[in-house]
Amino acid sequence: MEIRILGPGCPRCHEVEKRTINALADLNIGADVQKITDLKKIAEYRIMGTPALVINGKVKCYGRIPSVAEIKEWIKAEL
Amino acid sequence: MIWDIITGGFIALKEYIALHVLTCLIPAFLLAGAMVSFISKEAIIRYLGAAANRVYSFLLASVSSFFVAVCSCTVIPVASGLYFQGAGIGSAFIILWVAPAANILALMYTGAILGYNMALIRVIAALLMAFIVGSIMSAFFFKEERGRGFQIESGTKRIIKRNDIVLLLLILASLLAPNYLIRKGPYLHKIYVWAVATLLVIAFAIYGKTREEIKGWLTETWWFVKIIFPLLLVGVFVVGIIGKILPPSFIQNWLGGKGILPSFLATLIGAISYFATMTEAPFVDTLLKLGMGKGPALALLLTGPGMSLPSMLAIMRVFGLKKAVVYIITIVILGTAVGWFSSNFIF
Repeated sequence: MEIRILGPGCPRCHEVEKRTINALADLNIGADVQKITDLKKIAEYRIMGTPALVINGKVKCYGRIPSVAEIKEWIKAEL
Repeated sequence: MIWDIITGGFIALKEYIALHVLTCLIPAFLLAGAMVSFISKEAIIRYLGAAANRVYSFLLASVSSFFVAVCSCTVIPVASGLYFQGAGIGSAFIILWVAPAANILALMYTGAILGYNMALIRVIAALLMAFIVGSIMSAFFFKEERGRGFQIESGTKRIIKRNDIVLLLLILASLLAPNYLIRKGPYLHKIYVWAVATLLVIAFAIYGKTREEIKGWLTETWWFVKIIFPLLLVGVFVVGIIGKILPPSFIQNWLGGKGILPSFLATLIGAISYFATMTEAPFVDTLLKLGMGKGPALALLLTGPGMSLPSMLAIMRVFGLKKAVVYIITIVILGTAVGWFSSNFIF
């Protein structure tokens, strides 16, 4: 599973990363998690607001901090 | 000597923060949190996509960036996301400009420190500049713009619930009332007004909103406090130190008066320097006290947060050199013009 967290580096993006890692740990699932901070690369995803969460190439949410519960749902849906 | 400079920093902290925490900063952060929680970004984006003509989409872009993109790091992604999804280049660059130049937190703070007249002029100037920037960007890149379509999935069209509008207005009132109703007299009176207004806000919130909504709102508010307040403290401290170091004659010579040169220099300084959210207000206040003209001060208020060297480079990378250059030159010319015009016809 490939997870990308998009954000130029503010505390909100860190929080999304933290929650994602917690969600993965709770579900006992491994994934390739990377943070993308380069604005040009972020623009390629066509999202309208950071932080954003992308799983297996699909944008799950953008412009807000999702709850750990939501993140778990998205991860489970992509298994 | 050094001690003097350091105390300058602490005195600034007291003047700009201690005095404003209750009656300005707390309501302002609550308002920002409420806007992010209760205003639907998705709905606004859908309206932008459906906008039939340019004037309407410019208007929508201007007003919504005023309300929506309060966190500065998200501005470029929002603008680039919209643009690459097919929104007009004018709208995208309006968002780039208005969101930082007229962000609600900074405006409230500007009002508290420089007077609400200045804040009002700042908003109007920012919106006027937005329209011009949007038009110029659209005109310059007209050939590219033809044939671009905006595709966005359907979904909620409601931007904000009616009750929430009342809540937002109440918070706004708790912000403005202490400063407008109590012009003279002891500071304690301002606190009374603030307390009454805030109690109203709390009552309305408890009565009308679910526990989850309130929790979401307070969480967003707390994010703003966590991210912005420390930067504000540091920024104000630095402003205090700068105020002690800069010689007044220097400011008066280069930034004083009503001419074009001071406005141009102020615009340039603002365009290049990075200003953390809200720090431009104390900085401009300090410069005003040292002898800066009001017009150049307005120019700095606008371009300070609105643009910076890092943001220029980011815009260049994301949108390309040509668009970035047209945008930057337009802002600098407009900033200078606004500064000069307001010096001579408004202030």
